[in-house]
Amino acid sequence: MPLKKQESSHEAAGRAPEPLEVLVEELRHSDPERRWSAARRLGERPGAAAALAAALPGEADPRILEAIFTSLIRLGGDESASFLLPLLRSDDAALRGGAIEALQAMPAALATQIEGLLQDPDSDVRIFAVELTRKMPAEQATALLCRMLDGEEHPNVCAAAVDVLAEIGSAEAVPFLERCRARFDRDSFLAYAISQALHGLSRTAT
Amino acid sequence: MASPGLRPDRMNRIDIQRGLADVTDEEVRRLCDFVYRKTGMMFAEEKRYYINRRLAERMEATGSTSFQVYFATLRADADNEIEHLINSFTVNETYFYREDHQFRCLTSTLLEVITPKKKAGEPVRIWSVPCSTGEEPYSIAIWLLENWDKVDRYEIEIVGSDIDTTVLRAAEAGTYGERALMRLSKDMIARYFTKLDDGRYRILPELSSTLQFTKANIVNAGQTGAHRNFDVIFCRNILMYFDDTSRRLAAENLYESLRPGGFICLGHTESMSRITSLFDVCRFSDAIVYRRPLGESHG
Amino acid sequence: MDEIMAKRRVLVVDDSAMVRRYIRDALEHGQFEVQEAFNGVEAMEKVLSTPFDLLVVDVNMPKMDGYTFLHALRARGGEIATIPALMTSTEAGPQDMAAGYAAGANYYLVKPVRQDDLVDHANALTGRSP
Repeated sequence: MPLKKQESSHEAAGRAPEPLEVLVEELRHSDPERRWSAARRLGERPGAAAALAAALPGEADPRILEAIFTSLIRLGGDESASFLLPLLRSDDAALRGGAIEALQAMPAALATQIEGLLQDPDSDVRIFAVELTRKMPAEQATALLCRMLDGEEHPNVCAAAVDVLAEIGSAEAVPFLERCRARFDRDSFLAYAISQALHGLSRTAT
Repeated sequence: MASPGLRPDRMNRIDIQRGLADVTDEEVRRLCDFVYRKTGMMFAEEKRYYINRRLAERMEATGSTSFQVYFATLRADADNEIEHLINSFTVNETYFYREDHQFRCLTSTLLEVITPKKKAGEPVRIWSVPCSTGEEPYSIAIWLLENWDKVDRYEIEIVGSDIDTTVLRAAEAGTYGERALMRLSKDMIARYFTKLDDGRYRILPELSSTLQFTKANIVNAGQTGAHRNFDVIFCRNILMYFDDTSRRLAAENLYESLRPGGFICLGHTESMSRITSLFDVCRFSDAIVYRRPLGESHG
Repeated sequence: MDEIMAKRRVLVVDDSAMVRRYIRDALEHGQFEVQEAFNGVEAMEKVLSTPFDLLVVDVNMPKMDGYTFLHALRARGGEIATIPALMTSTEAGPQDMAAGYAAGANYYLVKPVRQDDLVDHANALTGRSP
């Protein structure tokens, strides 16, 4: 029979880890395989968050970008979050998207920042901030979004909040959604979205 | 009318006689939207009645007093509820030749792409992970022997891995009940199995000894690092149960375990779209398969 | 005998279920058949599996944004590369629009989009007058 059992290969047990600076250098290597490998390994090295984040804007390869974001998620914590938050303002959709996904994986680190972001002068940033609340604890996120809704004038930001509330919301959200609907044009997407959301939440009131 | 002995809250949430959950269309829609976002599975395509029954089972099983309570449990994935809900919609049994359209794709297309690039003596390497009790890797071996016209021209290395050593031992032992063999013809069973006194079947030692079974946790790069240079990986019906971060990690590990140009197959209800954009999407007549790009890599 | 024209098939690509439903409503009323995808990766899977006459593509989506998807689609060549694409986004800046056209969008609409505008543009891009 042609099926052949592979000779088991034992990898050399635990080679000594490279110095952090060497791996950081590799993040700028011209060979994408080396950058990929460095990005992955840095996810296990405390203190690597700054170097990983610094490599993001200059990295053109989307696969390596993804590996860098994954490593930042693994490192986690306030430090990683602090480097990711500014990317919400990036012009690059891939950087923004990657940062949003990474931040969603760090709900605790967002707790102190999220309220400010939901009040950011830039409506795009407020939209991304709303998306960040989707993976936060539901009660906390609902309270944040409801508070924001009452004062929010931009229909797209409201629509983003409605989308998240439709998923995570509960009885508390109902009056806020109704008030919001009254402020906008009946024919708009936003009115449609709010009606849908309310239908889904209509029986949550005890 | 209330039956004696039933608690009032149960009467509210489940229509006892029909096993249906007390849910509105919009609530079902909320559920379907969430499941679709999380897994890519479109429950909305199923019949409403069927969804309702599955929902009733899960509400009962989780002791949820209302849809809202159940939905909160689901969203928090408490006690792996997402997995339980998905499992209630899918067939979970493992058996030989499960989802064999992918094996068809393997021989009709994937190997046709892979083998021209092989140097003399270079084996074809296939990884089945998780392999559970071995049905999948043995199925691959049998399928190749039965269907691949080039099976004698190449050395084939099939590795089956799992995180659970109990199932690995069972895979190595290679004995199965009749039910696991239900999709195999009598001829094939006679060719590849011996019937045992207890009515079970054991795979021929020539087959079980040529497959390699190893322990591996695909979320752990250190463990997948020992599993490299695969041409094809079958990673079916596991990633969908991982949380978002674990899925990404596993996907990156599997990517590294593939040769450039190698292919990975997920379960038929799964999609890389909820996991990663590392792989190129390939559509072949029998399946959607994902490919590690060729790149400029050396070997 | 009146000719029965086959319905034009549209793929709506957006991570918001609300938006997909709203666009579906509009386009079904406009006599289109609608399918959905959550992001650029799923969109690629669907486009490779089924012929579409039109794509409606959001920009900001998890795993693969709309620009990346369109760019990858156009780069594949062949018939699927030329499917008309209507890009939709909350981003209203000139650089966002320019990026949309550079990625291969045929038209770029800033959200919120009205249902009748959607249908008008969908008709225009699929070569039929309303």
